[in-house]
Amino acid sequence: MPAWPDKPTQIGKRTLRVDGRAKVTGAAKYTSDVQPKGCLHGMILRSKWPAAKITGINLSKALQIPGVKAAVVVREGSRTVRYYGEELAAVAGLTRQACLDALRVIEVEATPLPFVVKEKEAKKTGAAAVWENSPNLSKPKVNEKGNPDKAFSEAAAVVEDFLSTPVQLHHALETHGNTVSWTDEGVIAWASTQGIFSVREGLAGNLNVEQSKVQVISEFMGGGFGAKFGPGVEGSLAARLSKMAGAPVRIMLTRFDEALAAGNRPSSFQRVKLGASADGKLTAFELDAYGTAGIGSGSSTEGGGGGAEFPAPYIYQVPNTRVQHSGVSVNAGSARAFRAPGHPQASFGMESMMDDLAVKLGIDPVEFRIQNDPSPVRRREYELGRERCGWKEKYRKPGSSTGIVKTGIGCAGASWGGGGGGTKAEAQINPDGSVEIRCGTQDLGTGTKTVIAIIAAEVFQLRPGQITASIGDTRYPPSGGSGGSTTCASVSPAVLDTCTRALQELQTQTGIPDARGSHWLEACKKLGVNPLVVSGQWVKGLSSSGVGGVQFAEVEVDTGTGVVRVKKVTCIQDCGLVMSPLTCESQVNGGIIMGMGYALFEERIMDSESGVVLNPNFETYKLPGIADVPEIDIVLLDMPERGVIGVGEPVTIPTASAIANAVANAIGIRVPNLPITPARVLAAVAKIKAA
Amino acid sequence: MKSFQYATAQTIESAHELAGKKGAYLAGGNDLLGLMKEYLAEPDILVDIKSLPGLNTVQPGSEFWTIGANVTVAQIEDHADLSKTFPVLHQAATDVGSRQIRNVASLGGNLAQHSRCWYFRHRDIKCLKKWGTTCYARDGENQYHSLFTGNPCISPVVSNLSIALAALDARIIIQRDTETLRWSIADLYARAWDNPTAHNSLQPGDLILRVEIPHQDASWRGAYMQVSQKADFDWALASCAVAAQMDGAKIIAARVYLGSVAPVPYTVPAVTKGMAGKTLDAGLAAQVAQSLLADAEPLSQNAYKIPMTRALIQRTLLQLIA
Amino acid sequence: MNKPTPDAGAGHVTRRDFLKSLGTTAVATAATQAQTIAEQLERTRAEKILGPGPVPISLRVNGREFHLEVEPRVTLLDVLRNNLSITGPKEVCDRGTCGACTVWMEGQPVYACMKLAIEAQNHSITTVEGLSLEGKLNKVQEAFLEEDALMCGYCTPGFIMSATALLKFNPHPTAQEIRHACAGNICRCGTHPRIIKAVLKASGATVTSNLDVIPYASLA
Repeated sequence: MPAWPDKPTQIGKRTLRVDGRAKVTGAAKYTSDVQPKGCLHGMILRSKWPAAKITGINLSKALQIPGVKAAVVVREGSRTVRYYGEELAAVAGLTRQACLDALRVIEVEATPLPFVVKEKEAKKTGAAAVWENSPNLSKPKVNEKGNPDKAFSEAAAVVEDFLSTPVQLHHALETHGNTVSWTDEGVIAWASTQGIFSVREGLAGNLNVEQSKVQVISEFMGGGFGAKFGPGVEGSLAARLSKMAGAPVRIMLTRFDEALAAGNRPSSFQRVKLGASADGKLTAFELDAYGTAGIGSGSSTEGGGGGAEFPAPYIYQVPNTRVQHSGVSVNAGSARAFRAPGHPQASFGMESMMDDLAVKLGIDPVEFRIQNDPSPVRRREYELGRERCGWKEKYRKPGSSTGIVKTGIGCAGASWGGGGGGTKAEAQINPDGSVEIRCGTQDLGTGTKTVIAIIAAEVFQLRPGQITASIGDTRYPPSGGSGGSTTCASVSPAVLDTCTRALQELQTQTGIPDARGSHWLEACKKLGVNPLVVSGQWVKGLSSSGVGGVQFAEVEVDTGTGVVRVKKVTCIQDCGLVMSPLTCESQVNGGIIMGMGYALFEERIMDSESGVVLNPNFETYKLPGIADVPEIDIVLLDMPERGVIGVGEPVTIPTASAIANAVANAIGIRVPNLPITPARVLAAVAKIKAA
Repeated sequence: MKSFQYATAQTIESAHELAGKKGAYLAGGNDLLGLMKEYLAEPDILVDIKSLPGLNTVQPGSEFWTIGANVTVAQIEDHADLSKTFPVLHQAATDVGSRQIRNVASLGGNLAQHSRCWYFRHRDIKCLKKWGTTCYARDGENQYHSLFTGNPCISPVVSNLSIALAALDARIIIQRDTETLRWSIADLYARAWDNPTAHNSLQPGDLILRVEIPHQDASWRGAYMQVSQKADFDWALASCAVAAQMDGAKIIAARVYLGSVAPVPYTVPAVTKGMAGKTLDAGLAAQVAQSLLADAEPLSQNAYKIPMTRALIQRTLLQLIA
Repeated sequence: MNKPTPDAGAGHVTRRDFLKSLGTTAVATAATQAQTIAEQLERTRAEKILGPGPVPISLRVNGREFHLEVEPRVTLLDVLRNNLSITGPKEVCDRGTCGACTVWMEGQPVYACMKLAIEAQNHSITTVEGLSLEGKLNKVQEAFLEEDALMCGYCTPGFIMSATALLKFNPHPTAQEIRHACAGNICRCGTHPRIIKAVLKASGATVTSNLDVIPYASLA
């Protein structure tokens, strides 16, 4: 039985990212960089109507544009499109310009239909129906426990507010896309994906090709955050164009497309009510929430994991609860899983009310959480975190900061699974001592390759730089998609098992009792001509599920201009056994910065009149910039006894909540809507002045 | 982009001739190429004006400084003497876009740039400014739009440099056919006040040649500030440029202009004239801020600009005595 | 200066027209006439209307000369990636808003997506590949590696171009100056804190590289 070493020499050590050199020199070839011989450019024609009946698409003029080699429609026959940007057709050509010119001469016969793009409008009776046979607002799912009404009436303090979070867009820097070559031999697809096997399955199914004849490759990809599973409409289109043109075709979505049709985090509109006893114990909770997953809220859910529901009362256990969730369909692109689906929304509603209730009871917000948090790990994290960030010195009664620029501090906690399973791997030990570990997994920037190299180096007592970690190819032993923060916990045990077996095999075959480290070259030489190839797989006992994490945010709020600046975020995070602290910390930085974007800047804005996305670019969909990022202080809690657990998602869950709480602490009134824009801050400040 | 011809003009006359009726001048290209990629502009020829002689220098002068229209915003930002003499211009330049943009963006292009209204910039919306029938922003998403306007279009001027140059009482020299025009900043944007389809007063074929800024001695002080959501590389929600001739804390003459609140760099002459002879302190600054915004007509989503701009005006003014 | 006559066609001065206009001036020597003709012809050549179809252009990229034919509307980014297979600069927004396509023109960072290939002629162009031509990383690249200032790496070439240019112009920048110089580069993975650290390190400043990993078991 393989086991994590008690005194590791590589695991848990600061290791430079093994694919870093390729990335800093521009040598790394991402999906958009791969250029098989004869590769054509492909582009997609999208619906200009937020809703329409499409009765005809004429490609003939497009096919006459010089340089155009193929054109296909997404689906033959009449169909209904339900959002601005839905795919209609695609073309392939020798140059981008040929494709652009071709798109402009495709003729579409369409009868516009009524549409609705805002949640509040879509809920109303008489609103345009997004789906013919179902109401825009779904019947609420109600869950009740205990007697919330009684508990509220008996509570010593009750708080209630209406909060909202926006539709957030993933906006990974590399857009969705694939280069596909479909010949009689089969299909090869270079995909920008988090799940090479999901792309293989999707393509094989859509194109009616045997799975054994479909190969998917994704060695380097430019970010996913949950939106990149399956081939997408674009993948199948690229394949069909490739077959028609007799050449590989690359379709990469444009930035504009990404805002329309590549997934998003559903919005939430929450009425949250929270009550507690005089001694600070939560007794009653009520939530009435709705949100939109675009057209995915209705009869069709694309991509999965994107519904508008979320866990409530999130990480807290309250004896008396009533929870009600509805989904609202609108004519907009469907939601897709987005880094910790549901949790940032859940955290925001709950943690905002936790702070308000603590204030009402006169209890310190950290103390209040420690009293009510069922997780012993998180309780310790709060204790450690408040020391670390100087909470006792910095926390003051809400709004007591003097001056026009007010300071405040807030906190929130997170919970996530992050377990793993089902991965196979292969080790190839060559007679010259070089080592290759092969696994059909993905590295989204998460550091998978580095973790693989670290584990192999640990087992063989080599340096990580001596290990070649080969991933991202469906010809390698299979692994699951990189979602749910499951990769590390899936891949690590499999690689440990594989390498442990490989070492045993090497020692047995060569008769060298200990082939590790200084004996390595000598042992490998004895292999002769053929390399040693050994398979292994994920085994129980080396990983587990369930992490916490807490964050403290310190902000400055300029009450004259309304601008919020996050000065510092302190994060105490557990993730089981820390494999690679350097790359693990990068994940934490990333999650916090993404959470800050959610708190202050990001919001997909629809226009009611025209039904379009108004901010399909980085100019007006604002991502945190280098000038915005705060000081980030991270403490990783190493828990080797728990084995490997993932960390990609928990780290983005509580950030916006902590920031919102810090803003409320600074100005003495809550801004209950994300993003916390200067407009919202000024409106809140005006309320205080009026009072 | 739609396909086009390309030529590099060597003289101003040939630039005009080459552009003809349906061409466009290409300097930095940030605005033009952005429009063309959305098919919002479809010139049949791009006339590269970067080789035109005499348009890319900064010349100090005892009467006035001359900045050629092809001088880049980065050159303005980095020019030590220019920055020292006109801090308001330096600060406005620093806040234009990103370094990559400033490295190619021309002074002329920055002044002439088109509206950033998201309805105007949307490839599939035919708004009033594009000769449609509706201003979508009026009853729609207008958080970034004007507090003041003289016409149904509510998209505001966003050129940082225009606000600074207005405060500096600069003159813009423009070649219109065979005529050489000498305009104030107010002249340059006047048409945008009344006309929904106008971004400024330029006509097709007009070429900005240079900007002349009256020299300022040590009795002049200036400041530019803006409020943006992000700390850098973000359009201003509101901006303010002030230039004042001072005697200690006493104002001899002052100019205050606001950006991103009107189709033109906005001021109220009666208010700024009334500053003359007064002592600049917090009280006066508050008064001026209040008065400048007196005629503001907020829309459904941009009322926040009023308190924001009020605070901004006060802070910018108080910079002069900091 | 001579204004082309209306019937000469856009920008094209016929020799006939030019010579006609010459005749109206005062008596000129043959030498001066020849010189002015040469200048005029040179100007005509320089003002030649190109396109809209493909046009031969030469680009100097990373010290190498490339000759190709592209339409005037093709951007420098498009040419680099799709004609020359130089894929370090990435296409992320194609609108000059994210910096992933940042290259140097005459050593100055610019957005390659907002430059036409045809106007990039006669200017030296450097991409990230050009920073380590002999396989040796520059100080900024080394520091990015050491401080793990990258994750997926898609924004990395652009940041490295901006940061390297900054250090040439300002060898010892403050953190604030680094932020201002790199504000035109977007990262979605959230590597910014380490980028600032890496650039400070590359400038020779001392940076603390602390990784706080505490065994949970040690927390009493």
